[in-house]
Amino acid sequence: MTASVDLADFLPAYLAEVEELLDSAHRHLMAVEASARRGSAHPKSVRELFRALHTIKGLSAMVDVEPIVSISHWMESSLRQADQAGGRLPESSVEPLMEGLRAVEQRMRQLASGKDAAPVPPGLLERLEALGVSTSVVPGAARPVAVTLDETLALGSRLTPVEREQLTTSVGHRRPMRVDFIPGAERAARGITINSVRERLATLGDLVKVVPLAGPAPGGGSLTFVLLLSTEASDAVLMEAAGGEPAQVRALSTLTASLADDGAPAPVREPELEEPEEGRRSSGTLRVEVSRLDEALERLASLVVNRSRLQRAVADLTAVGAPTRELRAILHENGRQLRDMRAAILRLRMVRVGDVLDRLPLLVRGLRRTTGKPVRLEMDVGDAELDKAVADRILPALVHLVRNAVDHALESPEERRAAGKSLEGTVRLGCHANASGWVDLTVTDDGRGVDAEAVARRARVPAPRDSDDLLELLCRPGFSTREEVTSTSGRGMGMDIVRRIVVDQLGGDLRLETRVGVGTTFHLRVPLTITLLDAIIFECAGLRYAVAVGSVEELIEVEAARVVRPAGAHGVALVERRGQAVSLVSLAQLLGSASAQQAVDATPARGLVVRQRGDLVAFGVDRLLGQQEIVLRPLEDPLVRVPGVAGATDLGDGQPTLVLDLNALGAARRPGAGGREERAT
Amino acid sequence: MSVLHVVFKVDGAEYVLPASDVLQMESFTGATPVPGAPAHVAGLVQVRGRVIPVVDARRRFGLPALERSLDTRVVVGQLGTRTVGLLVDSAREVLKLDPAKFQPPPPLVVEGSKGFVKAVAQVGPRLVMLIDFPRVIGEETPDGDGKR
Repeated sequence: MTASVDLADFLPAYLAEVEELLDSAHRHLMAVEASARRGSAHPKSVRELFRALHTIKGLSAMVDVEPIVSISHWMESSLRQADQAGGRLPESSVEPLMEGLRAVEQRMRQLASGKDAAPVPPGLLERLEALGVSTSVVPGAARPVAVTLDETLALGSRLTPVEREQLTTSVGHRRPMRVDFIPGAERAARGITINSVRERLATLGDLVKVVPLAGPAPGGGSLTFVLLLSTEASDAVLMEAAGGEPAQVRALSTLTASLADDGAPAPVREPELEEPEEGRRSSGTLRVEVSRLDEALERLASLVVNRSRLQRAVADLTAVGAPTRELRAILHENGRQLRDMRAAILRLRMVRVGDVLDRLPLLVRGLRRTTGKPVRLEMDVGDAELDKAVADRILPALVHLVRNAVDHALESPEERRAAGKSLEGTVRLGCHANASGWVDLTVTDDGRGVDAEAVARRARVPAPRDSDDLLELLCRPGFSTREEVTSTSGRGMGMDIVRRIVVDQLGGDLRLETRVGVGTTFHLRVPLTITLLDAIIFECAGLRYAVAVGSVEELIEVEAARVVRPAGAHGVALVERRGQAVSLVSLAQLLGSASAQQAVDATPARGLVVRQRGDLVAFGVDRLLGQQEIVLRPLEDPLVRVPGVAGATDLGDGQPTLVLDLNALGAARRPGAGGREERAT
Repeated sequence: MSVLHVVFKVDGAEYVLPASDVLQMESFTGATPVPGAPAHVAGLVQVRGRVIPVVDARRRFGLPALERSLDTRVVVGQLGTRTVGLLVDSAREVLKLDPAKFQPPPPLVVEGSKGFVKAVAQVGPRLVMLIDFPRVIGEETPDGDGKR
């Protein structure tokens, strides 16, 4: 009972930390691979990799995730040997290690989604173990010394085989120890908690397991944490680390004394584990859960809402002739402060684009293996930053584009040779922020380019006039499912998904530039943040809605007398705007709060003009209420994640107000949906 | 070994949820409808700064709608990482129930409840039904791109 409560407390921190370690492990393994391919050693990366896995193992043992402990243990063992061999790792070892990292990552995801970690995949441990053997004949390797445990003290029945091994197979002067820590109010006041003790002990040796025990404890407590570790530290040091009495320090075996003089080689210390650990903790960055940032933003949002109420109240006072000059000056200052505050909080949410794209080299590496094409990934992303919410959404689109580029756009080496190109294909990722709150991203390949004619033939439509038309064609939902399209046209896998993310979800812009035989570039433009935005507030069928100012081209007045209703158009009417006919769609009807007939009977008073896939569409609403800054809260629950609704916001009445994405709403729910392209042909 | 359960009423019948699954209970002042969401979703409400979807238990159980009253409650439940409200006629009681006392629901209940009732328990003269919260909330994603 206590154990599970305890674990739940540790889990988020654990997951965050292991995720970071995995990133570093991936990076270093790839560096090691690159060296291995050149036949050279890369001691630094081998060591970093070892360190990452070592820490993952320790952390996982603490939260009792046995499969990850086993995997990282065996990876660590093989790396220890590589380290002792001067940082030389055979190239054949890379793939099993990759596999190991993937397995750890999978299990992390399972834990993150509230599931149990799956058992170790069959065969993996054996493959990892075999690595150790093949590289293990190294002179001077530490000879492990087996130690017998005191079963009762060591809580023998609760140890897994791996933990048992960690405790008993120790090198040099390490001995298995048990430290009992009893939490208490007085100790907590001095900053001594299970977390601090755990951290201290982890720097003193290999912390193998933490077991919470309920029941009367010395010093009047009712809970004891038993920490099992393998360490060189003396009893006094351990005692001090555990905060002194009533903690207890006990050895788990008595056999360690005679170790040094039986001719064993000089003890090999685990390489520099303690020092960098300290270095990492004292760096100037802080990891914060996104939910805490969101909370800060929430608080700010309610301040903003409150300020507009205050402003209205002051306006009322001014209207009846009260002396409000001073008040208005304060209010003005207050507004400026809130804007600064907002900017500061938004900066907290910014992540470096480079960090977000960390995984792409790994993706390209995988693609190089599966496609057999030599590919080089060039990243030119600089220091550009993006709101975390935008970054999380844009990543899948970029992954998609890079995958497409390698899979389909780049030719085989033979084709490239025939075309006089360098054998190695290049995919380049560029990124830069421009001043107006947008970030430009490009994905470029030097592959075969998109053959517009071939795409058109496939889709059985006339050849596209320009690249916008071509992109439109590539983004047709289901386009990719037609057989053979990708190999003949060079493009087209799931482009509709990319456009949905960039255009519909983020309100950005997607363009294409391609030359047959030379290559293709996709230009993506996304907003820096989607969390705070200027919105137009309006009323439709008795409810208030908000829509991003940036997505609306124009607000028009609709005169009932000048609305034309073509027969059989499902309630879609036409209005004239600067000599041009624009379709007028009843928003109430789109939202399902009015029937087609009602929509015809009650002509909306105002229209929000939105550009939809190049065409202008006016959405009819009842009343415009104003413009204000809102905090957008995305709707995460699958029950309410619907196209056309970007999220919700609080306008100050305590009721959520929907923030609409008219573009996506129109596309998803056009009366007689999905028809334009079909009808056009 | 008794476990706390939250008791709520829908159309005269009494249902329970383990209190550990319930974050809080809120009075109901109306929800913001979400166009395109499944029919049993009453809409969005704001609960202590969070925006959560609310499932209408009556609509879910296929019962006639009821004018909302002072008794109407939103039972805010936790489902893994999801937080979802359940709109019920009333909720004002917490009961200690022994999990061992729960029985599989009688066939008639199974049929009538579309699998929403996981088990039943007798508490004195009353019969309370343990609901299958994930099932009632429903995990179906609304049609992703609104095609057809």
